Amino acid sequence: MNYPVWELYFAGGGLLIATIAVVHVYVAHFAVGGGLFLVLTELKGYREDSQNILDYTKKHSKFFLLLTIVFGGITGVGIWLTISLLSPGATSTLIHTFVFGFATEWVCFMVEIVALFIYFYRFGKMDKKTHLTIGWLYFIFAWLSLFFINGIIDFMLTPGNWLKTNSFWDGFFNPTMWPALFFRTSLSLVLAGVFGFITAVFIKETMCRENMVRYCAKWLLFPFIFMILFAYWYVMAVPEAPRAMILGRSPEIVPFVKIFAWILPVMSIGALLMAIRIPGSVKKPMAFALLIIGLIYMFSFEYIREAGRRPFLIYGHTYSNSILVKNEEKINEKGLLKIAKWVEYRDITDENILDAGKEIFKIECMSCHSTGGPLNDIFPLTKKYSVFGMDAQLNGMGKIIEYMPKFMGTRKERLALARYIVEGLHGKKESPVRIEEKDLYTEIPAFNEEKDEYVLLAWSSMGMHSFTDSDPYWSLMPPGNNLYAQLIRRGETPEIVTEDVVISYAVEKGFEKPSKHVKFWEYAEHFFGKRLPPGIGLSGNGLKGEMKLNEKQMAFTADMVPVVPYSDDGSFNPYPLFTIEAIDKNNGKIFARTSVVAPTSTEMGCRNCHGGKWRVNGQAGLSRETSRDILAVHDRISKTNLLELAEKGQPVLCQSCHPDPAFGAKGKPELLNLSAAIHGFHANYLTNREDDACNTCHPSSPTGNTQFLRGIHMELGLDCTSCHWKMEDHALSLLKAEKKAGKKEADRLMKHLSPKSASTMNQINPRTPWFNEPDCMNCHVDFQEPETDESEFNLWTKGVEQLYRMRTDDVGIMCEACHGSTHAIYPTKNPYGKDRDNIIPLQYQSNPYPVGANKNCKVCHTIDMEEEVHHPNSLAMFRNTF
Amino acid sequence: MDPSSLIPSPDTIPVHWGWFQFFLILTFVLHLLFMNTMLGMGIIALVASVKSKLQDLQTAKEISGKLPYTIAFTVNTGVAPLLFIQVLYGNFIYTSSVLMAVYWLSIFVILLIAYYSAYIYSFKFDTLGSGRTFFIALAVIFMLVVGFFFSNNMTLMLTPDRWTRYFTNPGGTILNFFEPTLFPRFFHFVAASIAVGGLFLALVFKFKKKNSDYRREKIASGMRWFSYSTIAQILIGVWFLISLPRDIMVIFFGGNSFATILFLSGIVGTTLALVFGFQEKVWPCAITTLFTIIIMVLIRDLVRRAYLEPYFTVSTLKVVPQYSPLILFVVTLVIGLSLVGYMLKLALQNRREDEK
Repeated sequence: MNYPVWELYFAGGGLLIATIAVVHVYVAHFAVGGGLFLVLTELKGYREDSQNILDYTKKHSKFFLLLTIVFGGITGVGIWLTISLLSPGATSTLIHTFVFGFATEWVCFMVEIVALFIYFYRFGKMDKKTHLTIGWLYFIFAWLSLFFINGIIDFMLTPGNWLKTNSFWDGFFNPTMWPALFFRTSLSLVLAGVFGFITAVFIKETMCRENMVRYCAKWLLFPFIFMILFAYWYVMAVPEAPRAMILGRSPEIVPFVKIFAWILPVMSIGALLMAIRIPGSVKKPMAFALLIIGLIYMFSFEYIREAGRRPFLIYGHTYSNSILVKNEEKINEKGLLKIAKWVEYRDITDENILDAGKEIFKIECMSCHSTGGPLNDIFPLTKKYSVFGMDAQLNGMGKIIEYMPKFMGTRKERLALARYIVEGLHGKKESPVRIEEKDLYTEIPAFNEEKDEYVLLAWSSMGMHSFTDSDPYWSLMPPGNNLYAQLIRRGETPEIVTEDVVISYAVEKGFEKPSKHVKFWEYAEHFFGKRLPPGIGLSGNGLKGEMKLNEKQMAFTADMVPVVPYSDDGSFNPYPLFTIEAIDKNNGKIFARTSVVAPTSTEMGCRNCHGGKWRVNGQAGLSRETSRDILAVHDRISKTNLLELAEKGQPVLCQSCHPDPAFGAKGKPELLNLSAAIHGFHANYLTNREDDACNTCHPSSPTGNTQFLRGIHMELGLDCTSCHWKMEDHALSLLKAEKKAGKKEADRLMKHLSPKSASTMNQINPRTPWFNEPDCMNCHVDFQEPETDESEFNLWTKGVEQLYRMRTDDVGIMCEACHGSTHAIYPTKNPYGKDRDNIIPLQYQSNPYPVGANKNCKVCHTIDMEEEVHHPNSLAMFRNTF
Repeated sequence: MDPSSLIPSPDTIPVHWGWFQFFLILTFVLHLLFMNTMLGMGIIALVASVKSKLQDLQTAKEISGKLPYTIAFTVNTGVAPLLFIQVLYGNFIYTSSVLMAVYWLSIFVILLIAYYSAYIYSFKFDTLGSGRTFFIALAVIFMLVVGFFFSNNMTLMLTPDRWTRYFTNPGGTILNFFEPTLFPRFFHFVAASIAVGGLFLALVFKFKKKNSDYRREKIASGMRWFSYSTIAQILIGVWFLISLPRDIMVIFFGGNSFATILFLSGIVGTTLALVFGFQEKVWPCAITTLFTIIIMVLIRDLVRRAYLEPYFTVSTLKVVPQYSPLILFVVTLVIGLSLVGYMLKLALQNRREDEK
């Protein structure tokens, strides 16, 4: 931000530093251990009075000189140049903090060079003792170089108290300085053995060669044991957050940890094999193989250490993209483009939005992501996103997946970046979604107010049943609407009829065979342990049949009717109709007939962020691509292997792990319940939004293909957040209950969420999904007109019995019987035909208002009534006519 | 775009800026001595290899044995001033480095090739035959390239008004060709190198015990290299001087009395060195040359300050004092230098014993 960014394109994403650093570090460690190797081998030569060993030592010292002083020294400068080009800001911090540390290390390097030159050029030309003294001085100063650089390198991972004191010594003697020093020292000795093999296998004299190869094997093996112990100490000294990252939280580190662990036995076995008597022709390639294995080992170690400090360059001080932690708030407030020095566009306009987005990309992304290169290529990582999805991804970045920094900047800048990535880099063009207006014919069944003896009220208990048709991969919710009916015998004192009557239901034409449209029946047994005949739902109900009496509710119900929104004519229709008939059990005579929609939708907006197309008709359904991506993301973040299982024919039911009160599914009780997990996770990606946060996933968007909020509340301008509150609050209330239940994962999801409708987290009441829901009575206090359009946050129903869909009035008529389904409260306006949801009131009273509204008591009572026996205010005139 | 708005904010420094200034000058002088010797000897060896007469080959062989050390010490002593300049002028040099990132980063690769070429030249001198010219040419050309990149960066960091080129070329391939002092500055270093390289050879033979015609001839040859390149240097120096922006040039002509005194001392030093050079008085020449180099480094520093004066002065750097690490460095430096002296003494003592 302070410095210009070198546009590296293909070579970005750490390719340069990874390449240069690893070879340098490999040789630099050898330069330390190899020094001791030279002195002790020379001593061995004197002790054993072996000219062969001394010749070998001299030869090895030449190899050592050419490798360490030349290659090691110059690549060391190379690292320095590289970091100053890739992260000038962080390099500047390092240099200004540790200038005298670097300067001291420079002195050590100077002594090293002089010592090594004398050691090599005067080998055999000085008296033994003096020559050994020079050798010892070399080793001591080489180790001191390691000592000083090690402190500075570890500072970046664990700056410890330096963050508070800014003291050189606090930074240098940081929490991992000592374990890292011991680890690296042991490693350098191991490498002395590894490199020793390279020259030893070329010794001509057989005895001496075998002798020296065995000697090198000892060098490799003995320090090895210490190295493992020190590695453990090192890991344990790393503070909890980066340690968690190293030990698995960052999925990108995992393979390197595995390599690191696997190479240990490979190297020790290799060394043992070298020690036994096998032909030189085998040992030579083996020596080089060990050298390469050692390099891979070094690479994995350095990668783990580097990646462990993500999303920082200097932990807690400088982010990976060189933005200082202390500037984060200011950037979010004022905007990155306003504060950064090397930008051309200070203000974003419609014309420059892509260019401005590119400038943001350069500052925030380019230091870790290449464009089209072998490392951290941005293209495959962002391929799936639409602008909305990319924007949401940026919104949630660094929150759940903590190895990337959070996006820093204003909302407008975030969108500019999202557009640059999607439109600028990927060249995607998004055309606005066109919604087809539909006005399906809706027949209103007849009702004769004078003659008819019965009123049959029917409804679907949920205003929308959303289900997932991604069964070959996973299932979050099977198809299954709950149909309800209450039959009332009309009269001055009407009765709810529960005996001697059969209530039948049958879906409209074209929807009778759902198994033609979804694969639920192929997987039902796998998911639910029940073999279901095609078209039969989990409760044994099909698309037509008889309802069962629920005596407690004095209503007839058919639950889990597996209706799907796909018609045989190929269309998507989330509002199929059911014909409901009340039939005299004794003679088969029809008492009453009505019809009702069973709202059901597969317009789950997962694809907004997970990519893929709609499965059906460009309107709804989870495609293979979307379904796969969801599992892939779950696998990556939660360390599961769901995609692999699904591809083996074992798709997963979300509730098999995540408890879900909606089903009474116990899942794995230590995990977050499904609602808390899914809302908690996604809330991090959808902050500071209104109802569009809900509409992203649920089929509630007023411009979507389902538009399930279709009742009077929608007409009055309310939206999801009016009752359910904003995404953050909604998620936090769920997570808080889980946290209270001792589930640790809740903290991870809550960490970056802040309440919108309350000023502190403490003010948010925990709640259980499906039980503690918005209560109508919050606004309609005592059934009266609400005082405001907003319900009071935090007041939830106390249990299932208080839910609107379960409640009755004072005489046993269920609320929904007269007022309609949740989310479709009479009068409604259905996008697939204006009166599709108003059939019942239109049939019985020729207006779309709640049954009996406007003092229409005659519908059941046959006469006008004067007492409000159903509920207070039931005799008032309907307010919101349209 | 106002170039000053592009200049990154500097970081704080732990001790008074004067300390860094002192170490910068001190280590840069050391670096120049090694660098000049390395490059100068390289060029002389290259010329010798091309000429390929017996006499020349003797010189070339003498050089081949010394080139690897001088590269090692050039690099080592180069690290320190590069460190200290980053402390004082980090916000300028990091920026200019990014602007020319491709070239700047290539330095270490080029250097590595030059270094190994020098080693091959050194270790295989007798067996290489005509390959000798190839390896010494490779080493010298690459050294010159590295020097040219340094000249670019050292001038680009001083000219923020050219930094806006980044917006049309963010790929790190900007060189500072628009800078009038770029080439005179570069050749100024090259000519100085040839002079010092020649002088160093003369010194090497001066140290040889046996008094012979061969030794005398080598000393004379070294001093000729010194003298003629110094004459060329005077011309290049004038070119350099007049290519400086006028307001900077005038500080050496009375505009700033310290600068003027330094400049005059530099002229006196050069003149004396040249006189001693022609007289083949090796030691007086070496001492006056050392004096002149120190003066030139100080002048160079004044030029840098004058360039940056509209934007920045080092005295404005905020000090957040922490002196103990400085003490650590100074103590280590004293110990380190003493040990270097001690080891060299051991090596030389042993040599004498050997030769007995």
